[in-house]
Amino acid sequence: MSGHDSKYFSTTKKGEIPELKEELNSQYKDKRKDAVKKVIAAMTVGKDVSSLFTDVVNCMQTENLELKKLVYLYLINYAKSQPDLAILAVNTFVKDSQDPNPLIRALAVRTMGCIRVDKITEYLCDPLQRCLKDDDPYVRKTAAICVAKLYDINAELVEDRGFLEALKDLISDNNPMVVANAVAALAEIQEHSSKPVFEITSHTLSKLLTALNECTEWGQVFILDALSKYRAADAREAENIVERVTPRLQHANCAVVLSAVKMILQQMELITSTDVVRNLCKKMAPPLVTLLSAEPEIQYVALRNINLIVQKRPTILAHEIKVFFCKYNDPIYVKMEKLEIMIKLASDRNIDQVLLEFKEYATEVDVDFVRKAVRAIGRCAIKLERAAERCISVLLELIKIKVNYVVQEAIIVIKDIFRRYPNTYESIIATLCESLDTLDEPEAKASMIWIIGEYAERIDNADELLESFLESFPEEPAQVQLQLLTATVKLFLKKPTEGPQQMIQVVLNNATVETDNPDLRDRAYIYWRLLSTDPEAAKDVVLAEKPVISDDSNQLDPSLLDELLANIATLSSVYHKPPEAFVTRVKTSQRTEEDDFADGSETGNSESPAYAPDSSTSPPASSSSAQYAGRQAVAAPAASAAPALVPDLLDLGLDNSSAIVSVDQPATPAGPPLPVLLPAATGQGLQISAQLVRRDGQIFYSMLFENNSQIPLDGFMIQFNKNTFGLAAGGPLQVPQLQPGTSASTLLPMVLHQNISPGPPSTLLQVAVKNNQQPVWYFSDAVSFLVFFAEDGKMERSTFLETWKSLPDSNEVSKDFPGIVMNSVEVTLDRLAASNMFFIAKRKHANQEVLYLSTKIPRGVPFLIEITAVIGIPGLKCAIKTPSPEMAPLFFEALENLLKS
Amino acid sequence: MISQFFVLSQRGDNIVFRDYRGDVQKGSAEIFFRKVKFWSEDAEEEAPPVFNVDGVNYFHVKVVGLLFVATMRTNTSPSLVLELLQRIARVIKDYLGVLSEDSLRKNFVLVYELLDEVIDFGYVQTTSTEVLKSYVFNEPIVVDAARLPPLGPASLFMQGSKRMPGTAITKSVVANEPGGRKREEIFVDIIEKISVTFSSSGYILTSEIDGTIQMKSYLTGNPEIRLALTDELTIGRGGRSIYDYGGSSGSGAVILDDCNFHESVHLDSFDVDRTLSLVPPDGEFPVMNYRITQEFKPPFRINTLIEEAGQLRAEVMLKIRAEFPSSITANTIVVQMPLPKYTTRVSFELEPGAIIGGSEHTLRAKLTFSQELHGNITKEAGPVSMTFTVPMYNPSRLQVKYLQIAKKSKTYNPYRWVRYVTQANSYVARI
Repeated sequence: MSGHDSKYFSTTKKGEIPELKEELNSQYKDKRKDAVKKVIAAMTVGKDVSSLFTDVVNCMQTENLELKKLVYLYLINYAKSQPDLAILAVNTFVKDSQDPNPLIRALAVRTMGCIRVDKITEYLCDPLQRCLKDDDPYVRKTAAICVAKLYDINAELVEDRGFLEALKDLISDNNPMVVANAVAALAEIQEHSSKPVFEITSHTLSKLLTALNECTEWGQVFILDALSKYRAADAREAENIVERVTPRLQHANCAVVLSAVKMILQQMELITSTDVVRNLCKKMAPPLVTLLSAEPEIQYVALRNINLIVQKRPTILAHEIKVFFCKYNDPIYVKMEKLEIMIKLASDRNIDQVLLEFKEYATEVDVDFVRKAVRAIGRCAIKLERAAERCISVLLELIKIKVNYVVQEAIIVIKDIFRRYPNTYESIIATLCESLDTLDEPEAKASMIWIIGEYAERIDNADELLESFLESFPEEPAQVQLQLLTATVKLFLKKPTEGPQQMIQVVLNNATVETDNPDLRDRAYIYWRLLSTDPEAAKDVVLAEKPVISDDSNQLDPSLLDELLANIATLSSVYHKPPEAFVTRVKTSQRTEEDDFADGSETGNSESPAYAPDSSTSPPASSSSAQYAGRQAVAAPAASAAPALVPDLLDLGLDNSSAIVSVDQPATPAGPPLPVLLPAATGQGLQISAQLVRRDGQIFYSMLFENNSQIPLDGFMIQFNKNTFGLAAGGPLQVPQLQPGTSASTLLPMVLHQNISPGPPSTLLQVAVKNNQQPVWYFSDAVSFLVFFAEDGKMERSTFLETWKSLPDSNEVSKDFPGIVMNSVEVTLDRLAASNMFFIAKRKHANQEVLYLSTKIPRGVPFLIEITAVIGIPGLKCAIKTPSPEMAPLFFEALENLLKS
Repeated sequence: MISQFFVLSQRGDNIVFRDYRGDVQKGSAEIFFRKVKFWSEDAEEEAPPVFNVDGVNYFHVKVVGLLFVATMRTNTSPSLVLELLQRIARVIKDYLGVLSEDSLRKNFVLVYELLDEVIDFGYVQTTSTEVLKSYVFNEPIVVDAARLPPLGPASLFMQGSKRMPGTAITKSVVANEPGGRKREEIFVDIIEKISVTFSSSGYILTSEIDGTIQMKSYLTGNPEIRLALTDELTIGRGGRSIYDYGGSSGSGAVILDDCNFHESVHLDSFDVDRTLSLVPPDGEFPVMNYRITQEFKPPFRINTLIEEAGQLRAEVMLKIRAEFPSSITANTIVVQMPLPKYTTRVSFELEPGAIIGGSEHTLRAKLTFSQELHGNITKEAGPVSMTFTVPMYNPSRLQVKYLQIAKKSKTYNPYRWVRYVTQANSYVARI
């Protein structure tokens, strides 16, 4: 913007910042306070008031706590972006940490811990040490949490300064708040440390159980959760623990109740006396039910947990099924969970009551809920043999109401009931057939067709019924087509008369010649061959007796269930997924890398410095790639969180947000010769060759550094400019000091989606490399789109077909490659497969080979590929369909390079 | 551990945003709001209170039309977070008197100060208004409740606050009254939310009372309080199942299935004479929560009669009888009955008049349909549901016999308010 233009902009907002500045420096206290408030207000609505940093910090030295707090709030927000100025505040912090007022002491330590600026951290240690031993419990409890903050910034410092020991001492503190915070801090540190930091001995256990009674409700949760990791030595100890935890079940706070339940369930495993166990179950039931009187949000969490508990110990709530009946005003997510539990608790004793409820739900207005209720009736029928008949009669009643989605859902579950009780309830088929015309959902249609085929001999007009579907065969979804095919074959085998014979011709023709669906075609060909070679064998295969299905209402695998039960009262028990499935470990500081290296060397990984660059020809062992991948997951968010801390060392004018990572570790080797990107002539003797490669599902920047200069080079760093794919370094560049005449190669793990450049997609990747001896070197690389193709890009045929159909034609892009010759389908497919383009099907069209392949790029974007060529004749046509057609040029460029070579 | 806490308006505007750990991106509020708003295409489905997007766990509760949200990366206790969100709402209400977008915006400095004391580095420190008073220095700017705009569509969300029903007090516990001195008073509310399901023939299928004794104290000097409950109070059904509680009603005994107490309550003499003693902390809090499935006399009987009158017509007669003493008047009564989709016309007449105890009201409606009935109209209409509030009445008959305040001096005689109120939770009659 020219200076001329800017004038216009400043006039509109003229004075706001300068005015605040003036007020902040006012000689009147009240005016200063108001000004700081205005600054905070501007900050919270997202205005940048960082330019007032010095003026605000100047207000910090005040006796007025209200004002001081505001200044601290400001500091936490802006210290990161102004690390040098933040140092100005250190003196006041240190002074405040010795203030006679305990509130000010605590405030200083609390705030310092929140400022993630290295230089400030150094000054934090002494005040923290003092505050951990402060006379005032408010200061001690704040200091305890502060240790966890410091550990997150600099773990080594915490260990070196003996803060862990101080924290452990606080477990014996006489103030329960302090104990609770010390426990919370230790538990967090333990989670991130490979060393045993916080082991619960029987001694700490008894101390903590005592503290439990005095703690605030929240402290009780911290302590119970920490103690749940404790394994009692024997049944007696377990009983003792349970006895001391049981009173917590009476707590008004749901979190306390659930954490206590978790603890009790865990210790129950060890208790051998059945009387004690029965008694405990009896004690747990009322509080669990009471959780359902809480807010619906908490009910939801409770229900998800109860779902797990009743799978393991159905007796606890066996008599309480009524409390899970849906209330009229329950939110839908609560109703759905209640239904699940009702199915689990349904028994011969209560099934009549339960059915009455389900029937009622099936006439409510919420479609999803109604469907689930209908399905629940079917599941009960499958689960309870003696009640099956009653369930079916309820289903028939519902079908008679003729509400479309109810009928369809009922037919789907009745199909399962037939599978569970063969030759028992077929008399109802006639009723089902009445609704034939109303079916419009694939699953219901497929179910009905399956029923007709399976019982063709008992349905007089089975051929007519099936025939009515055949007319629309080509338009039906794959699911329905498959069932139609099988049902017609069944019909033919059971009634080999003229009508069915004609039908089978039509179907087989439709399912082989007319279709693009490989699944359908394959199945049709198998039937065809079977029927034409040996009809008896066909009977044995197609009409074979099917295994009886069983109830699926306890779907969870026992080992998963046990794992989830150990995680009761955590998110894991709400998602019904093990923690590692959704917890991505993220740390806010760069310490991550070093830490994980330590882990790595412990497990005997190949990344120790002993592996010098001379092993450069061997590709990385898969274990080390896994290590990379693991680290990658952590490093990615770290990089995005860190940028503000990292000054633009290279002064590139590049976007600052890809973290520059220092070089202090030797490298892991790379493989084939790499293209030279920075020739020695340009790089004052330094030659850099590099290429993006994909190894074990991970993208690396494979680099070779050759020092042809006269001096040793060290301190290598790398930075990437914004690019289409948001590629950035995912870890430190590991290049040792390079003596003159030596070389080193390295694999730099890369992360995606960091800072994406706008504009049309481009393969351009601009790189800057720096070392301690030379100026910054810039060079450009071309990204090969192939490195993004994921290992799991293979699609099922049916998925492929569906995806192809679901994408609009505007997403299809095609290109001719006149210069490319395909000499052999196999060789081409192998080559494509090596780049993670997976073969799905092929067909011959005249003399042309048509190949179908799929691949996937990050964020699960699929590419559906159709390649058409004549063997041995130059000229190849490629059409792709993808949700991201803008990437097509890059794709074609990569494909051309791959097939040309 | 909690990474961020924020409050969003119904439109998704950030009213309060506090980051505690810096490990979740700044745009989380927007990601959250988008996800909740477009949870599924059909608007009927509501986002569950806990979900995960790209490794970030989002928790939310709805309080008076505002979304209270927390984000977190770790696998910790979800009930803790959800409970905390409710408590933060309560603490803020204690301080501001009124919880609304307006009051939050006017008091954001105070709210941030509170949030700093409530959570440190993602760990809950305290949610006790009493304890917070010693660390929080900003004075609330009181928003006049009377001038609040009506909630409008926001009132839809009100149903979420099951445990904090509308105590009519909108006075800050910390702000000084305009007159200077605070009025010495204490409110004890016995709030019972009842759920009843009647079968089509009028039998009670399920019935349940969720009760709370809620207290809000404006007493200075924190005097000790004794609260004596009904003598004939038993806790636990003695291991009997829900199916065989019959026979115990009518005897005047109140049998609680389960109950729990606020942490400030001492139960030393509870087993002997059913007396609770406590030093009430500032702010509104539940002294005791209880749950009853013992049979009770429902306040309303609902009679529904549907008769088909020809192929395209039907007649509905809805009769509501109030079965409580005539000294009591029920209010905010809404009766709902879903009708078949193809209903095109309804004409009805309703007997006017307040619903006082013992009275009976009838609604007659004539329905016209656009298509023939499939068979049984009762399968496609109903059930009839009711919401209501009945003041000075509680079906459990649990009573506060007396409320004793330890006296500081002879002249010390603060106002004591003991109020009973019954509200419908899920009050449904099938047809």
